[in-house]
Amino acid sequence: MGALARVGAEAGAAWRSFVRRRTAVFFTFFFPVILIVIFGALVRTDPTGAGLFTEPAGYYVPGYLAVVVLFTPLSRVGSTVARQREGNRFEKLATTPLTRAEWLAAHTLVNVAIIGIASALLLLVIALITDAQFALSAWLAPLIALGVALFCGVGAILGAVADSQDGVIAASNTIALPMLFLAETFVTPDLLPSYALPLVDLLPLTYFSRGVRAVTYYGSSPATDAAILAALALVGFAVGAYAIPRTD
Amino acid sequence: MDALVADDVEKRYGGTAALDGVSLSVAEGEVFALVGPNGAGKTTFVRALTGTTRPDAGEVSVLGESPAAVDESRLGVLPQSFSPPARLTARELVDYYAGLYDDARGTDDVLASVGMADAADTWYENLSGGQQRRTCLGVALVNDPDVLFLDEPTTGIDPAGRRTVQEQVVDLAAGGATVLLTTHDMAEAERVADRVGFLADGELIAVGSPAALVREHGGERRLVVETDADADALGDADFAAESRDGELVAYGVDPADIGVVVRALDDAGVAYSELVWTQPDLEDVYLELTGDRYARRPGAVAPGGEVGTEPAAGTDRGAEAGTGGDR
Repeated sequence: MGALARVGAEAGAAWRSFVRRRTAVFFTFFFPVILIVIFGALVRTDPTGAGLFTEPAGYYVPGYLAVVVLFTPLSRVGSTVARQREGNRFEKLATTPLTRAEWLAAHTLVNVAIIGIASALLLLVIALITDAQFALSAWLAPLIALGVALFCGVGAILGAVADSQDGVIAASNTIALPMLFLAETFVTPDLLPSYALPLVDLLPLTYFSRGVRAVTYYGSSPATDAAILAALALVGFAVGAYAIPRTD
Repeated sequence: MDALVADDVEKRYGGTAALDGVSLSVAEGEVFALVGPNGAGKTTFVRALTGTTRPDAGEVSVLGESPAAVDESRLGVLPQSFSPPARLTARELVDYYAGLYDDARGTDDVLASVGMADAADTWYENLSGGQQRRTCLGVALVNDPDVLFLDEPTTGIDPAGRRTVQEQVVDLAAGGATVLLTTHDMAEAERVADRVGFLADGELIAVGSPAALVREHGGERRLVVETDADADALGDADFAAESRDGELVAYGVDPADIGVVVRALDDAGVAYSELVWTQPDLEDVYLELTGDRYARRPGAVAPGGEVGTEPAAGTDRGAEAGTGGDR
């Protein structure tokens, strides 16, 4: 009960802090929407052509979701860690009963809520402004939550390693952009050079893409990908929690 | 029983010794003030005790345990330059930190105790600097700690706010809490602390009650006469005196002796524009121990020829001749 109360207190403070930063709220939801507008409505897919975007529109639904599942927790948790360190908040928290895992769990919960809302908005916008055909499934919730947990952990590591908020943003972009395009999101494996294919299987985002595509596009079971994603999320969360600064 | 113990603690950052063999014990219920120049090692020492930095050598204990093992619910900590979430109100901040403990004081009680009841529903970023620091103090008090670490708790607070914080510290100690605070305000240390420790270059160079430290290191009471006359002007008056930079300073002058000096000056026909009587205080101890004595008076020339330019804070303890003591 004590741990739950502490996580609740931390999550409540983090949620209030987020929703009161109107610019952050606006761009958190605007960024993925503008991506859909650009790629889904303006560029459009071309199933009869060659090169990028030759798959049916529904194929790219995991890519759009991956944008928020990957970028938002990486940059949010990373910059939160850097900001809290600069304000000596971890020095304060280190002397309270709140553990590092509880802190990360609280911020993961907040990110799951934010990205859950963003994902629902994305699916709605996709359905409204593109001709994508996709299925909805209860599997989407755990897949998104696991992806968020994984990248919250990675964000915590970045925040602990980088020496400033600027450093976190630069590092998260450096990691996320290549991963986004190599992890079977917008670029199909057959378009990649053969030497890059082993790398695809090593990227955690790949299992999110495959899992989401299994339920939204192919109508198959995502259990294997979800299990791998869960294992990676566990590791990411544990390492991220350990990385959160408690001492100088 | 000692609430805080440090035994030969060392901490280095690169080639710099932040703590160089610091040993200290603070008894339960004691208020201990740690003072010293910027970079002396005060914050590092607090962090060593709270477990947020690990000493390179030596041992520390809090309430008989290592910092890593001590029950956090018994500690209250206000870090230096602490900046909580800016878009929470003072009430929400106290609520938030209270939520991290199984047993916490009531939010309204905490806010009232630090004088924040009237501004409780204002976002932290919109509070004045003093209100922000008082809110932070409230955050450190939510769990009614047995040991309280306050790292420069009154920095940036106006005099009324400082007094509120100081009264809180005294009240907490009266209730049995142990308080370790760092400060640059010598008057604050003198007002609230049972004992004061002076840190310089990572070494604890003096520890004692304010009165004992002043007795040992503060020098003598003195009467400063604004005049061009030299020390011989005092004639038969039995005081050590020196003349420097437009001042005649007589040492060892008690308030009752001021008239003796005045008569001696009158007898010698010496004109003067002002008489200021001062008794030594912790600031004199600080300046003596840190070797910065001549920084106190603007324009004063140190023996080495260096001119002090910074008017020292807290020099308002001097009293015009005839007032009979401190203001």
